Amino acid sequence: MTGPEHPFAALLAEYVAECLPLAEEVVEGALALERAWQEGQSADELFGPLKGTLHTIKGNSAMMGLAGLQNLAHRLEDLWGVLAADPASRDAGAPLFVRGTGLLADLVRGTASGPPPEGAAADYLEEVEAFLASERGAREAAREERRSPDRRTSDRRNPKAGGEVGADGAVATIRVDSRRLDALLESFGEAMIAHAGLGEAMRQLNRRRGTTGELTQLERAMLGLDRTLKRLESALMETRLLPISTVFSRFTRLVRDVAHSEGKRVRLEVAGGETRLDKTVIDRLGEPLVHLITNAVTHGIEPPEERESRGKPAEAVITLRAVQRSDRVILTVTDDGRGLDPEAILRKARALGQAPAVEAPSLAEIFALAFLPGLSTAQRVSQHSGRGVGLDVVASSIRALSGNVSVGSEPGRGTTFLLRLPLTVAVLRSLLVEVDTERYALPLVDVAETVRVLPETLYQVARQGMMTWRGEVIPVMDGGLLLGGGAAESRRYCVVLRSAARHRGVMVDSLLGHHEVVVKALDPSLGRPPAVAAATILGDGRVACILDTGRLADGWVEPVAAAAP
Amino acid sequence: MNPGTFLVIDDSKLHHQMYHLIFSRSELTGSRLLHAYDGREGYELFMAHPELTLVFLDLNMPVMNGLEFLHRRQAEGMHPQVPVVLVTTESTAEDEARGLEAGAWGYLCKPFAPEQLLALVGRASSRLSQRIAHP
Repeated sequence: MTGPEHPFAALLAEYVAECLPLAEEVVEGALALERAWQEGQSADELFGPLKGTLHTIKGNSAMMGLAGLQNLAHRLEDLWGVLAADPASRDAGAPLFVRGTGLLADLVRGTASGPPPEGAAADYLEEVEAFLASERGAREAAREERRSPDRRTSDRRNPKAGGEVGADGAVATIRVDSRRLDALLESFGEAMIAHAGLGEAMRQLNRRRGTTGELTQLERAMLGLDRTLKRLESALMETRLLPISTVFSRFTRLVRDVAHSEGKRVRLEVAGGETRLDKTVIDRLGEPLVHLITNAVTHGIEPPEERESRGKPAEAVITLRAVQRSDRVILTVTDDGRGLDPEAILRKARALGQAPAVEAPSLAEIFALAFLPGLSTAQRVSQHSGRGVGLDVVASSIRALSGNVSVGSEPGRGTTFLLRLPLTVAVLRSLLVEVDTERYALPLVDVAETVRVLPETLYQVARQGMMTWRGEVIPVMDGGLLLGGGAAESRRYCVVLRSAARHRGVMVDSLLGHHEVVVKALDPSLGRPPAVAAATILGDGRVACILDTGRLADGWVEPVAAAAP
Repeated sequence: MNPGTFLVIDDSKLHHQMYHLIFSRSELTGSRLLHAYDGREGYELFMAHPELTLVFLDLNMPVMNGLEFLHRRQAEGMHPQVPVVLVTTESTAEDEARGLEAGAWGYLCKPFAPEQLLALVGRASSRLSQRIAHP
């Protein structure tokens, strides 16, 4: 604090005269930034001057011995650094920044009549500290920040340059056009296929010639190549991962806008924004999430009066949560609205001729019907949700990412959509099976278990079977029938697929083990066979279909008599 | 330490007043202080005054910043005998190295106390042309 003993105490008035206009400039700049961000502009040109001005205020305050002001300006610089580097931090960070600049201007103004009391901005500084710590935590968790956490290093960032300089002066990070990453991934896929081909050829050789010295050497070299490719894969995947907050960040505004035009009061809560997903998944996730969130506000959430009459808070909450579970990310969209009406869904499904197979379907089975095309129970068309955005659209875009979606709801209490997404899109961990000498890949995400089925545990009912699996009676379908061939009673293996409502089995001839397959999109001119999601090339050069397990499960609505041994 | 001629290049009026205050209260009182508010203005004054005892050069300034000032001076070989002290608010070892490479004689880090500034002037006037440790 500047006391009378401070060498520059006599310059307090000059300090205010110089710093107050600067502080006011910072306030203006911060407000302009916040406005620009809310309108979806990057407003990068506003950044530089703001930083310089804050720096000057900090320097002047330091010279004057105004530690409180110096500290506040310093923290605002830190906050500035986070906002500049990470657009995802802006929803929460921008209002904090604006508030801080206002506080700074007030304190500078007050200095005309003496230095601000110690701890004048303590509460605010604590808040900033917490924010910076959580951002740091998120960044570290995301391992985005590879350089030294030294704060002064981050001061040297130059957002315009293509890279960042580390403490040793070497370039620590560089920016790369994402198309180059895509091309890299494509080449990696080719390498994986070539590798699988090499492995297959080697096995053939081994079978024909027996083990020779050269073959052993070849095997050893293959093992090395194998390991290198694995490392390459994870390094490549790592570069493609982005925090999911990059999509989450735009929803606060969406919720506010939709709620406003619907006359509802809704708050969006977000958790797990630091969870990372492949860039492609992130890119394609926006649209289905917009549908789900818009649907939740327009259809799920009741008007405030109705909520109050039901004893709920007038302000509704939509929660967006992401969490990583092994090789997939679970995303939930939860609202505390009126919930789905199972009777209405059932009525609609029956009208569409899509009634569930069982006599007394479980709630889960009924809710699974909500994803059928043409089944929208909304009573009116709203400006935001419109007609075109049925849940079937959401489901198919999630499935296109080799993910799946399900819904749970408690009438009157709310609805939760659960999206399971793969971490990466290019390489799919799959179970390879054989049906009538054809090979198929099934995404492991959807495989609950594989079991050997004894004939006496399988009950045939109208060409479809039922079997008992873990105490549950599940429908089982013949793989041949499913894929356009004929049924064969000789199939002994059952792949149990996860489904939103009920597990289902597919009978196959043999199981060929787990493989990492490279996903190749189907040529659009081929159309899309109902059970096939994509294709892959196996080690022997054969093309295998990757089955659309989610769609397979949903397509099963043909009548199956109630389970009866 | 005898009074001399000093050039202060800083975009902050407040800082000019601080220099004034420091000089007027020390044995350097009676020194002549020249003031410039950006690098270009400072460079013009610098060219016109080969008799300068020392230059205080702020790093962050509009129009021409401290480093640009030093680079131009280096390129033109202007008055190499005049020590230039780079004044920064926060600097890293790298900044410092860059400044010294560009021909800065020493560093002064804000916030500095009057004594630190005076000590620097003392060393400069005794013509110890050596790198000064971070104050």
